[in-house]
Amino acid sequence: MRERVITLGLLVALFFGVLVLAKGAGEWRSPGNQQGYAPPQPIAFSHRLHAGELAIDCQFCHVAADNSRYAGIPTSDICYKCHKFVTAPYAAVAEERRKASEEKREPRPIVSEELKKLYEAMGVADPLKPVDPSSLEPIRWVRVHNLPDHVLFSHQAHVQAGVACQRCHGPVETFERMYQYETLSMGWCVHCHREVNQTGVSGRPVHASTDCAACHY
Amino acid sequence: MTGDRATAEPLHRGSTSASDRSVDRRQFLEAAGFTLSLTALTACTRQPVQYALPLGVMPDSFAPGKLVNYAATCNGCPAGCGLLVGVRDGRPLKMEGMPEHPLSQGGLCAVGQALPIALYDRHRLEGPLYRGRPAEPDEVDAVVREKLQKIRESGGAVRLLTGTRTSPTLSAMIENFLGQFADGRHVVVDVPSSWAIRQAHQETHGHALLPRYFFDRAQVIVSFGADFLGNWISPVEYTAAWRKNRIPTADRPEMSYHAHFEPQLTVTGSKADRRYRVTPSDYAVILAHLARELGAMALPDGTPPLDTASGMSPSDLRSLAKKLQAAHGASLVVCDSQDVFTQQLVNAINEHLGSYGKTLDVTRPSRQRLGDDAALAKLLEELAEGQVAALFVADIDLLHDLPEASRLRTALKQVDLVVSFADHLNATAKVADVVFPESHLLESWNDFQPVADLVSISQPTIRPLGKTRTLLASLAKWSGQTGDDRTLIRRHWEKYIRPTAKEPGSSFTEFWDKAVQLGFVERKVTPIPATYKAPAALTWDRKAVPEGYTVVLYTKVGMPGSRHAHNPWLQELPDPVTKVSWGNYVCMGPKTAEELGVAEGDVVELTVDGEKLELPAYVLAGQHDRVLGVALGYGCPGTERFANVGPQWLEARPTTPPGEPVGRNAAPLLNWQRNTLRCVRHGVSVRKAGRHRALAVTQLYHSLKLPESIAAYGAPDRSAVVQATTLEAFRKDPEAGKPEVHVDENLDLWPPDHPKEGHAWGLLVDLNACTGCSACVIACQSENNIPVVGWDEVRRNREMYWMRVDRYVQGDDDDLDVRVQPMMCQHCDHAPCETVCPVLATVHSEEGLNQQAYNRCVGTRYCANNCPFKVRRFNWFNYRHDDDRENLALNPDVVVRSRGVMEKCSMCIQRIEAARVEAKKEGRDIEDGDIQVACQQSCPAQAIVFGDLNDPKSRIVQLAKDSRQYRVLEEYGFRTNVGYRRIVRHREGGETGGGHHHG
Repeated sequence: MRERVITLGLLVALFFGVLVLAKGAGEWRSPGNQQGYAPPQPIAFSHRLHAGELAIDCQFCHVAADNSRYAGIPTSDICYKCHKFVTAPYAAVAEERRKASEEKREPRPIVSEELKKLYEAMGVADPLKPVDPSSLEPIRWVRVHNLPDHVLFSHQAHVQAGVACQRCHGPVETFERMYQYETLSMGWCVHCHREVNQTGVSGRPVHASTDCAACHY
Repeated sequence: MTGDRATAEPLHRGSTSASDRSVDRRQFLEAAGFTLSLTALTACTRQPVQYALPLGVMPDSFAPGKLVNYAATCNGCPAGCGLLVGVRDGRPLKMEGMPEHPLSQGGLCAVGQALPIALYDRHRLEGPLYRGRPAEPDEVDAVVREKLQKIRESGGAVRLLTGTRTSPTLSAMIENFLGQFADGRHVVVDVPSSWAIRQAHQETHGHALLPRYFFDRAQVIVSFGADFLGNWISPVEYTAAWRKNRIPTADRPEMSYHAHFEPQLTVTGSKADRRYRVTPSDYAVILAHLARELGAMALPDGTPPLDTASGMSPSDLRSLAKKLQAAHGASLVVCDSQDVFTQQLVNAINEHLGSYGKTLDVTRPSRQRLGDDAALAKLLEELAEGQVAALFVADIDLLHDLPEASRLRTALKQVDLVVSFADHLNATAKVADVVFPESHLLESWNDFQPVADLVSISQPTIRPLGKTRTLLASLAKWSGQTGDDRTLIRRHWEKYIRPTAKEPGSSFTEFWDKAVQLGFVERKVTPIPATYKAPAALTWDRKAVPEGYTVVLYTKVGMPGSRHAHNPWLQELPDPVTKVSWGNYVCMGPKTAEELGVAEGDVVELTVDGEKLELPAYVLAGQHDRVLGVALGYGCPGTERFANVGPQWLEARPTTPPGEPVGRNAAPLLNWQRNTLRCVRHGVSVRKAGRHRALAVTQLYHSLKLPESIAAYGAPDRSAVVQATTLEAFRKDPEAGKPEVHVDENLDLWPPDHPKEGHAWGLLVDLNACTGCSACVIACQSENNIPVVGWDEVRRNREMYWMRVDRYVQGDDDDLDVRVQPMMCQHCDHAPCETVCPVLATVHSEEGLNQQAYNRCVGTRYCANNCPFKVRRFNWFNYRHDDDRENLALNPDVVVRSRGVMEKCSMCIQRIEAARVEAKKEGRDIEDGDIQVACQQSCPAQAIVFGDLNDPKSRIVQLAKDSRQYRVLEEYGFRTNVGYRRIVRHREGGETGGGHHHG
């Protein structure tokens, strides 16, 4: 009798365990591997639109990539440079203009819900008003690419060597929401470092170190 | 199931049968294991969400993570060395020396290096206090102004007591502020002070001034107690200058001669060519006889004869006089005595030797010590008589740094308004009516004028972390002036500094911008017409030294005063001479220790005139038998905070005994004589207190000395580790001092299958230049995130420094041979550590570096065991990183190591990588000089050179061709990439010191 109770108990536990696992099955991977990680961001920023459709260069926003270890999450004022004037998708603005001319009135300013968040962060109600530096609030972007603390990766070194951003970050210009394209594991890094020593980067011979201390110090 | 198991497990069931239990042990484990694995499986998911918060607006020329250097001036002491503040992401992180600076010439001492940890100190006062309670700045300002108004009306005395402040803007502000009162006076105090030098020049030159010393112009240097390479007035400036004449080469085998007289071994004494062991009261006797011998003056009446009791024989004196005479115009005599008579003798000798205008300058004097003992004595008198209405105190802790604190405490009660500017709650701040903490150097605008013809500026690199402001801003506010410290300094510079500048520029804005960017401005000054006038015949009026021991109170190289007591890096730094970290102690010679029957760590009680001081004893070679030494600047209130600074584990012992500060305050032993505050106290009696307090000494282990009983026949001479020779031998044979060991370059266990084709990094340390000042140790700590481990861990030989300075002592106490050697990972090409690592966590890089991959290390510690240099450090714990403000001082380019991994010098690989990327950006290869490792950058003696051993044009390769080059334990064939250059002493014969015993 007692055995049955225990077996039953274990079965129930197994059932709940499977339930828990099934829920997280899509996310299940070996520890540390974050490939495919696509967290929702505070602002639904589209790389497809900006880097793909509008063909804005990566380093236009990620200004430090060729100058620092970090590529740099763009500061709000970088977004604001354009979005001071571009307050909503063109279709919505055109629609309002059409309506306004039909109704014979001045077009009303259209501000998209997503860009409102940017203006809030900049502390401006009206995009054309000057920004007060004391009212700035950082936007809490969720970090997608996150190497362990014992790895020191330098964007500058790779950009200087002519490695395309897409080599590690994937075809970002097609991503609606940013996600981690590669595994970013040590094996993956070292594989590329070995390969480019044979093939070079964009036709140029390079020396990519495979020393431990190239990344770990 | 259960039935089977019951028979299989009949043991220890007692009376309870298996069937009585609801679940037996095995079943419990099964269920628990199942649950645990389920829980573990669910962990195979995403890492916790992390956020990336960018700035709102990108500042100009800012790149995240990029190190930017800003010019500043160090205020760790009044010497005013040039500083480059490395700022990353808006955080000042690393202090470096400014190579262009005319005084410090690129060097920076340990105290300057340790500035960042003080900036991020959570225990710093965050805002003003009024009667001990936190108050708003406006509230405090109102109170102070109201009280000052009353004093102004009543005509009461206002006194401002500060340490030496060389700021021209502040001087003007103080004058203005005190000018508002009928009786306002500024009193400057230094402990220890150089007032006697200024006073002696008043007597001999008609101006109370401190000369500027030029050690680089001196061929013969004679120092009486002045530790000019350690902590006397401006050690970094003096070290840079002294070094210039201390590097003999085979082509030019010349170097200056340096004789040193002192009671207790110092950094300078250990570098001297000839060190004499004398008491401070012997200085005057020797100087008087030296002056007579030189013909500078007649022997003052009543001068005691020169005999062996005064530590120097007449024949030695004659030979020294001859050397000085021969170097007429290129010799220099310096003395740290606080006795005006003694200093007058020094002036007479310097005048006779034609040194004025050559090796020391009184026409453009130094301002690095402005303390006036007589003014201090007067102030203390006024305080005792209750004549002071308002007292403002900065830099100094009146109730801690001066003797007779209890009398002073009572006297302070009679003062209407006591204002302290202390940044920690020190003894004076505790009783002050108002405390308005001063901002840290890196948070504020400051200017300095360390010497007459140089003014420097220091810009802030971070906003004040609390509601603090500078002394300048506070005084301005209280005297009704407007503007913050930047405005005030700018205004002063526009009006007074620019008109006297050598390069005033076309507009003030241009001049100012250049000054801020460069950090200093050279000035045209009218020379002070000070010429020597022989004083009226000096008469010997010394009293006989009373019975008992003489105590010399000194400041350590790494702890210039109580102002720095809250700095954990400086507290833990092993003293360059004694190698003791955490706290002070009584230094005594081996003979004295034997006489008293004490051993290291035995607590002794010093008694003099009712003052008592209990401290552990430390036995120091070369100490005068009748002199004891105690460091000032310890026992500071508030340092109880360091009790748990180290890792907390079962057997951890607190760094300070519960409720007690670090060390003991020795200031009560300071005494007043002839209006000077003396650091020498005679007639002290000593007895054993019968207790023991182990000292955290880093010298006695890691010993390379092999006991004779176990040394194999033919074992090499261990003194070959730190090689030395004499100038005479060097002149005959540039390779003199090289031990006779057999080095076979061809004998090799490994095939040469790892050629270094690209760069091959190496270090070269010139032991003749190295003074052992330990600036490099703190530079390395700051650069490489080295934790502070506390007294208990240091005592257990577990300090974490990647770089240490070894001290070797041989010879007898009267003619000591002290050698210092910075020791870090030697990056052996045939590294013994690499062959024993079972997981290949330590391997060689293609550029010749011995790498340590922390994430691969499993902590067997085989490598440390097999390292012949004992430079590997094991992380026994996760050292404290729980203070997120203090963590701001961490270098983000270097990993913070966790428990269970080995670490060691990486030869600043982060700097190599950074330089590589920068070079790549410019489309070139790394050039010689692009990389400066942390220890090299700030070395005041420029003793360390880093470079590419594969580049025939690099400086390191050029220097390594020198005949003095050697490698430690070369005969074992480790093929180290760190080289050393032999010590050369300016002596005759082949011996560098007396006998042969190791200390």
